[in-house]
Amino acid sequence: MGVTKEQVEASLTSKLNPSHLEVVDTSGGCGASFVIEIVSQQFEGKRLLERHRVVNSALEEEMKEIHALSIKKALTPEQWKKQQEAEKPKPAA
Amino acid sequence: MATIIRLSPIHTPSLSPPRLFSSHSSQNTPNISFYLRPKPLSFPSTSLKPYTPARPRALVVTSAVKSLSETDLVSVPAEGEEIAGKLPSETGVYAVFDQNGDLQFVGLSRNIAASVLVHRKSVPELCHAVKVGIVDEPDRAVLTEAWKSWMEEHIKATGKVPPGNESGNATWVRQPPRKKKPDLRLTPGSHVQLTVPLEQLVDRLVKENKVVAFIKGSRSAPLCGFSQRVVGILENQGVDYESVDVLDEEYNSGLRETLKSYSNWPTFPQIFVNGELVGGCDILTSMHEKGELASLFQK
Repeated sequence: MGVTKEQVEASLTSKLNPSHLEVVDTSGGCGASFVIEIVSQQFEGKRLLERHRVVNSALEEEMKEIHALSIKKALTPEQWKKQQEAEKPKPAA
Repeated sequence: MATIIRLSPIHTPSLSPPRLFSSHSSQNTPNISFYLRPKPLSFPSTSLKPYTPARPRALVVTSAVKSLSETDLVSVPAEGEEIAGKLPSETGVYAVFDQNGDLQFVGLSRNIAASVLVHRKSVPELCHAVKVGIVDEPDRAVLTEAWKSWMEEHIKATGKVPPGNESGNATWVRQPPRKKKPDLRLTPGSHVQLTVPLEQLVDRLVKENKVVAFIKGSRSAPLCGFSQRVVGILENQGVDYESVDVLDEEYNSGLRETLKSYSNWPTFPQIFVNGELVGGCDILTSMHEKGELASLFQK
């Protein structure tokens, strides 16, 4: 029995109060592999390693079932905003 | 005239071009000795054959690249990034000259700028200037002929093979990939009772080695995509690292659980630098993309 995308989202939402969260199930249905993008105030002042730890511990229960968890982005709201702006196509002058 | 006398056929057997790619063997290189014979003796048996591939090819090439002496000398920029802008990234031959203007090496490459950059990095003191001849024909034989024509021109003029092209001189040829280190084993085997806790062995291992990667599978054949990416990044950085296969139940039995609690990290691979967990594949990849790894490994 694997974990569902909804379970992962619910745990992360309740524990990290993310302002942006994207969970993609990459397992092809068995629920053992996820890719996560998460933006949370709780990452403020934390190194990447610590941020990943925060996510990992928020998913402690789920991790027992998950084989591969890829945290693509773990950003603070501020970093997220900057990145969004950088990625936005420039309006035509 | 003394130079002509020195033009002995001793050089001939060793005159084979440096390898273009490590997988290529030089077995298909035609012997060029006919160039060096004092007189082009006739070959009654072969000359009657309607098809002689070597000669027409040589003719094509002489028109494809200018002779060595006619080619302009270009100084090699000190900065690596400038080399790509100044030299062509195309297929061809190149001759490297040192500060005194002495020819050091004649090479052939599918990407001249990249090859010169490699030389510049490995032997900066010998890479002062280069001459470049682009070969439009991508055929390897044509390229080889172009290389030979430059080599022969130089030998004819000086009576010497460029030092870097002498057989046994490995300064300029890409080193064969270093033999991969064996993966480290934590225990003598599952049949031996450990006298110290496994955790202590892990602790010692990561503290005594600068870079340690705990991966699934061996470093030469990682068994998971993430481990594979980590090995790829470490190899790419050229860093000397140790690897431990966490799936090896015989010699690393119990390691996965021990390591998870030791590092407080739930997944593999795990990369340690100077005894500290750097992270898993995602973190290493992200640091690699941001160019932060070089400074990490220097510490």
